[in-house]
Amino acid sequence: MQPRERFIAALERRPLTGRVPHFELVFFLTMEAFGKVHPSHRNYSQWGQMEEKERELHRLDMADIYIATAERFEHSAIFIHPNPDTVEETIRLIDILREKTGDRYFLMRHGDATFSIPDGKEMFAFAERLADDPEGLKREAQQKVDAAIRRAEVYARHGGLDGFALCADYCFNSGPFLSPRHFAEFITPYLAQLTAAYRDMGFYVIKHTDGNIMPIIDQLVATKPHALHSLDPQAGVDIAEVKRRYGDQVCLIGNVNCALLDTGAPEEIAESVRYALRNGMPGGGYIFSTSNCIYTGMPLKSYEFMLEIWRREGVYA
Amino acid sequence: MSQPNLELLFTAIVDGDAKRAAAVAQAAVAAGVDPQTMLTEYMIPAMDEVGARFEANECFVPELLISARAMKAAMEVIRPLLLGRAVEPAGRVVIATVQGDLHDIGKNLVATMLEGGGFQIVDVGVDVSPDKLVEAVQVHQPQIVALSALLTTTMPSMKRMIDRLVQEGLRQRVKVMVGGAPVTQDFAEEIGADGYSDNAAGAVTLARRFVGVAA
Repeated sequence: MQPRERFIAALERRPLTGRVPHFELVFFLTMEAFGKVHPSHRNYSQWGQMEEKERELHRLDMADIYIATAERFEHSAIFIHPNPDTVEETIRLIDILREKTGDRYFLMRHGDATFSIPDGKEMFAFAERLADDPEGLKREAQQKVDAAIRRAEVYARHGGLDGFALCADYCFNSGPFLSPRHFAEFITPYLAQLTAAYRDMGFYVIKHTDGNIMPIIDQLVATKPHALHSLDPQAGVDIAEVKRRYGDQVCLIGNVNCALLDTGAPEEIAESVRYALRNGMPGGGYIFSTSNCIYTGMPLKSYEFMLEIWRREGVYA
Repeated sequence: MSQPNLELLFTAIVDGDAKRAAAVAQAAVAAGVDPQTMLTEYMIPAMDEVGARFEANECFVPELLISARAMKAAMEVIRPLLLGRAVEPAGRVVIATVQGDLHDIGKNLVATMLEGGGFQIVDVGVDVSPDKLVEAVQVHQPQIVALSALLTTTMPSMKRMIDRLVQEGLRQRVKVMVGGAPVTQDFAEEIGADGYSDNAAGAVTLARRFVGVAA
């Protein structure tokens, strides 16, 4: 089986033999690993001014970085971050990746359209709208979902893209930004619509959010994503409990503690990796990953250490 | 004029009803109620109640912010009366997100809750260098410095901030509290901070303890 097929099997919670699939939402350490600036860190303000042949060279260079990352770290999936982030450039990048790798990798891009936690400047205005203009907020939520579905229809017609990662963050370490009641009103119906539309088009859906999801996890699972990503142990999310309660409904991705990769001792990293594997793998429906991504500033050797354990112990009989 | 029911001021703030909070405050002012009494016995306790509910997961960030808005609406009514009376804040806090970190949600929440708790806030912003922090401490003479970091990669900046306060001879003048998603009590102790809270309401309790004000 190609890595893509194994990734899809895990998303569909089918049993696997061999190594449990792995990927990361983002691997930012491309300068250290490959001597290349990560595509998301590039400033293409003069993109429109470039000759087409120069744009194409940049696209090829960015595609090569995604492929090199997948090959070196044995990712089964590539999460593209097109830069510039347009539908046209997404399609061009997909085509290049498919041309270079065929169907070897599962390809996904951002696809969320629901309200995430606003930043510190916007959160006051958001809270005021929630209290003063709830119907206006719902209209905006619907418009965002409708626009995302229209974009997805273009990708579906073109082909090559396998799925979407929905990366709106909903939760802090302590719990959700919105109360479960507000979440049910302002997020869940729109997330369910979006997920259903993506599924109807044949796409796979991975719902990511940081933080303590437990107060809203019933709602998240009820929107029927193929997978839940992050399962953040820093926020107290226990993959064993999530697996026990929802393992028959949704694939689980993540749970290796990012903070430990950053600052923990090797034995602490090892324990986090082993806990995720031990509790995520049984019965299938698990994709090995950190609880966020390989972010800027993380020691590469910690990620490589995490993978060493996965290679030895993340194997189905 | 009959004495207004000040419990309504308390409940308006807890409920996040800014219009009602302002209206009750105006009626109380018109009836000659001492604004200091309104502030210390009804308004700040209302925000404390919201903070307690927040800590108990009975209310969430948007409700907390809407209560803070109601608190501000009532404050607008009584502020002119307080100005002439030299009413001192519970304390002055310089708050910042540390160098290298652009996240401001936690910082802003803590600032809002501290303000609701009667503290004066000097918000230095995000990605704040040790130099900028030192300057803010020298200029504003706070009793408390509050530092926030969301990333494990920026947590070491907290120690650099504290070390710099030591170098400048300012450390003994201020209490330092730290917080943020990856920060722990152990880390706070390790870097020499005076206190840690994992949430905005707890930060108010901590700040009150620092300045010797009863909760």
